[in-house]
Amino acid sequence: MPRVNKRRPALLLLGLSAALGCGKRGPAPATAPPAAAAPATTPPGPSDPEPPGPRRQTLLRGATVMTAAGQTYARADLLVEGSKITAVGVDLPAPAGATIIDLSGKTLTPGIIDTHSHIGVYAAPDLVGHNDGNEATAPNTAGIRAADAYFPQDPQIDRARAGGVTTMQILPGSANLFGGRSVTVRLLPGARSVTDARFPGAPEGLKMACGENPKRVYGGKAGPSTRMGNVAGYRDAFQDAREYQRSWATYDKDLSEWTAKKDAPQPDEPAAKPRSGQPADPADKPDKPDKEPTPPARDFALETLVGVLRGEILVHNHCYRADEMSIMLELAATYGFKIRSFHHATEAYKIADRLAAADTAASVWADWWGFKAEAFDGIRENAAMLTEAGARAIIHSDSAHGIQRLNQEAAKAMYAGRRAGLNVTDDQALRWITANPAWALGVAEKTGTLEPGKLADLVVWSGSPFSVYTVAEQVYIGGELVYARGKLEPRTDFELGYKPEDIAAPQGPR
Amino acid sequence: MMNKPNKPNKPNHRPRRVLLTLALLSGLSGMSVEAAPPAARPDATTSARTPAARPDATRTPAARPDATRTPALAGPVYLVGGELHLGDGTVIKDSVIAMDRGVFTVVGGPEARARLPVGATLVDATARIITPGLFAADTQLGLIEIDLEASTRDDGKTTEHPIRAAHDAATALNAASSLIPVQAVEGITSAAVAPTGGLISGQVAIIDLVFGDHRGLVAHPRAATAAHFGQSHAGSRAATLAMLREVLADARSFPARRSAFERAQSRPLSAHPLDLEALQPILRRQAVLTLHADRASDILSALDLAAEFKLRLAIIGGAEAWKVADELARARVPVILQPTENLPGSFDSMGARLDNAALLHSAGVPVVLAILGGVHNLRNLKQETGIAVANGLPWEAALTAVTLGPARADGVERTHGSVAVGKAANLVVWSGDPFELSSAAMQVYVRGALVPQVTRQTLLRDRYRDLEQFNHKHN
Repeated sequence: MPRVNKRRPALLLLGLSAALGCGKRGPAPATAPPAAAAPATTPPGPSDPEPPGPRRQTLLRGATVMTAAGQTYARADLLVEGSKITAVGVDLPAPAGATIIDLSGKTLTPGIIDTHSHIGVYAAPDLVGHNDGNEATAPNTAGIRAADAYFPQDPQIDRARAGGVTTMQILPGSANLFGGRSVTVRLLPGARSVTDARFPGAPEGLKMACGENPKRVYGGKAGPSTRMGNVAGYRDAFQDAREYQRSWATYDKDLSEWTAKKDAPQPDEPAAKPRSGQPADPADKPDKPDKEPTPPARDFALETLVGVLRGEILVHNHCYRADEMSIMLELAATYGFKIRSFHHATEAYKIADRLAAADTAASVWADWWGFKAEAFDGIRENAAMLTEAGARAIIHSDSAHGIQRLNQEAAKAMYAGRRAGLNVTDDQALRWITANPAWALGVAEKTGTLEPGKLADLVVWSGSPFSVYTVAEQVYIGGELVYARGKLEPRTDFELGYKPEDIAAPQGPR
Repeated sequence: MMNKPNKPNKPNHRPRRVLLTLALLSGLSGMSVEAAPPAARPDATTSARTPAARPDATRTPAARPDATRTPALAGPVYLVGGELHLGDGTVIKDSVIAMDRGVFTVVGGPEARARLPVGATLVDATARIITPGLFAADTQLGLIEIDLEASTRDDGKTTEHPIRAAHDAATALNAASSLIPVQAVEGITSAAVAPTGGLISGQVAIIDLVFGDHRGLVAHPRAATAAHFGQSHAGSRAATLAMLREVLADARSFPARRSAFERAQSRPLSAHPLDLEALQPILRRQAVLTLHADRASDILSALDLAAEFKLRLAIIGGAEAWKVADELARARVPVILQPTENLPGSFDSMGARLDNAALLHSAGVPVVLAILGGVHNLRNLKQETGIAVANGLPWEAALTAVTLGPARADGVERTHGSVAVGKAANLVVWSGDPFELSSAAMQVYVRGALVPQVTRQTLLRDRYRDLEQFNHKHN
C-alpha cells in the first residue's frame, strides 16, 4: 500500500496514473495568495491548490453519475479542468490532451460533506491528552475556536476520507450553551496545520447547545441547571452582543465624526494666533480638536455573537426536542438572526413545517435514539418527513464510525421513508449528505453537487452508494486524487510504526 | 473492488412491497398478493391471522401475535415456498416450515408438504429469503431504557468489588421495554443480555424478544458468565490476571470447603461465596466465560487462562484477534466482534481493521458479529453483517455469524440459532437480501408468534404524519 510522501506531490487527476504506478506525477502545488474578500470574521483560507499554467483536463467517462442537483445519469461523463468540474453530460467529447479515466460500472457522486464531526478535537486514541473538544469551564465560550485544537494527525481523518468524505465541519462539543467557533476543513492528506486543511472561504460557525448537556455539566457548578437557565443564558448573551454592537457603533460614529473634524479644513483659523509662550486664550478651547474616541474593549465571545447577528457566522445548534427547537427559532427571530442548522434534532419531524418556514436545516442521524431522555423520540423516518415537508434535511455523523459510511446512513433513512410511503428520490437522499450540508456550511457555491463550476470533490463508488456492499474506490478533493482503495491509502503520523511490516521493511524516501 | 457477496437473490433496490398473505382467499397455496402502501402492512397481517378466515384449519387457530399472550402458546403456522437459509450454511429452495407452540415442527423441502395437515392454510413465501431470527450476541437490552438515566438502568452493580459473578441479568430484565419491539420488528429475535462493570460482571441471560411477556422472556438464564479483561481492575494486566486466577482457584476448591467456610475455619476467600457458587457452571463447562479483550496479548492471556481452568471461552471485542487467529482456531474459541470497529480507539486496538471477521473466518475461527454493548439499535446488526461481507466475509458464513454462531458461542445451539425441528421458532421472512439496506423484515416470528409491526416509533411517526392538524388546534 503506497504511503503518502511527506512532500506530497499534487496528485491532480493526471496524477492518477502516477498513483497507480504507471505514469508521471503532477507538479508540486504552487503557492497562491490567500482567498480574497473573506468576511472580517473569517480567517484566510489555505493557498489555492490550482497550479499555474494551462489547466489539466481529465475526463471521467462512463459512470453512473448522480449529480445531487436533481439529475441522475445512467451513464455519463464528467470533465474536470484543474480543480473544477467544467462539464457533465452524456458522451462529452474528450478535449485534446485530456486524460481519460474509464469508470464503467462505477457510480460517481459529489464528495460527502458532514456538518457535524469532532474529529481532530477528539482525536483517536481516546487519550486524556487528546481531550480537546469541550472547553467545559464556562457555559459561554463563544470566543474559542475548534480550529485552535484541530489535530491534523488524527487517524480518524484517514478513515473518514476512505468513506468518501471530502469536507467536514469540526465543532466544539455540546457542554456549553455557546461552545465556540467551528471550522470547516477539507480532508486533504498531509495537512500539517489546520490552515492547510481549511476550506477556502468557508464561513465560520458557532456551536450552540440546548437541553441536557449544559444542564448536566453546569448543574453542579454555577449553572445553568435547568432549561430555564439555558434559555436565559442565550438571551443574556445576545442582549450583551447587541449592546456591544451598539457601543461599537457609537464608537465608529464618534470616530468618524472626530476624524472628519480633524481632517476638515479650519476656515475660521484665528487670524492672530497667540504668540508662543503665551497662555492660550480660554476662548480658543472650543475650537481645539476633541480627544480621539477610545474604542470599547474587544471581547472575542461577543464578537462571535455579533458575527451571528450580522449573518457572517452561521449558527449550528445542538438541539433534540421539538419544543426546544421551537423556542430557539423564536429567540433567534427576536434577536434577528438565523439558525442555519439544528443538529441531532431527533424530533425535527414534529416541527418540519416550522423548520421549512424558517429555512433552518436539520442535521439528523438516520436512526440514533434513546441514549438520553431528549433523544427518546427519534425515528427512522425523520429525514424523509423533513424532506416531504420541504425542510432541508441533512444526515450528519457526530461519530468517527458513522462518518465512514454516511452514504449508508442516508440509504437507511431513505428506505425507511419509502417503506412508510414517503417518496424520497435517490437524488434527494444524496443531497442529505452533499448539497444540503454544503448549504449549511455556507459552501454550496463551491461544492456539494456535480455541476460545472463546482470544485471537483468527487467519490467513485464500486456500485450504488445506497448498497451496504458498496465501497468508495476513489476520492478526489479539488481535482486531486486523495484516496484510491488498496492503492493510495494515506496514513497520519500517529499510525506509523504499529504495523509489523512498517518495521520489517523500512521505507526509503519515494 | 468490493467483494461481491454470493448472495442468493438480486437485492431489491426499489422494493415493491409484496405482502405475504394466507392464500385462503383463493383457496390455493402459492399465491401472493400485491400490497398497497406499506402503511397497510400491519392491517394486512391482522387479516392474515384472523381465525375466522381459516374455517378449514385442522388445528387450533393461530394465536394472534398479541404481546400480552405467551408466545409459547402460539398455534401452528405453515410457511411454504421460501428460500430457507437454515443458519448452519444449508439452503433449502422451495422450503416448507411448520411452527407450533413455539418451536419448529417441520423443516424441509417441497417433499415436506405432505407432512402438513390436510387443509392447512399456508403462508406463501415464494421467492422470499427466510432466515433464522438474528441473535444479538452482546447487549443490555431489557436492562437499559435510557443510557444516561441511571434510574432506567439495571445492567451494573454498585459495588467496589470487581467480582460480581452472582449478579444475574435474568432477574432484572424488563420485557415491557419499548426497545424490544423496535429491534424485533427488524428481525432481531434473540439476545445475549450481559451485565456490565467490574472484572467478572455477572450472569448472561439468553432472551427471546417477546414484548411484554415477563415470564416468557428469558430462554436461558445464566448461560454464560461475562468478564472484562484489561488493565483497569487491579492497576495492571498482571495483577488483573492474578485476581482472575485466584478467584477461579477459590471457586474450584469452594464446593469441597464450603462447610469449613461456614464454620469459619477457612482462610479468607477472594470473593463472596455466592459469587464462587455462581462460577461453578463455567468450571464444569456447563456455561461459557465471555471475556472482553481487544489487544492480541490479552487474547493470548485469555486462551492460557481458559486452558489452565479448562473453561469454555468466547472472546468479545477482539479488535486484534486477527493477529492471533491461528491460536484461536486451534482452541476453537469464538470471537464476538463488531465489523465496523476499525478505529485505533485505544492502544489496545491499534490493529483494528474492517476485515477482522474475514481474516478470522478464513483462519477457521468461529466468528460472531455483534453490535457490542448496544441496546437501542441492535436492529442495525444486518447492516454490520453486510459490511463484514463487503470486507470479505462470505455471505453464508456471515449469516451463521449472526444466527447459529452466537447461539453456539453462548452454548444454546440446542434450542436457538438455526431453523431445525425442535428449536425455538424464531424466523424472519425478508423482502430481499437480509443484509442489504433496501431490504426489510416482512414477517418476524418469535417463538412461533408473528410480531406485530407496531412500535413506539411507528406510533410517533404516524402521529406526526399530518402536521396541519396541530396548526388547526393551536393557531
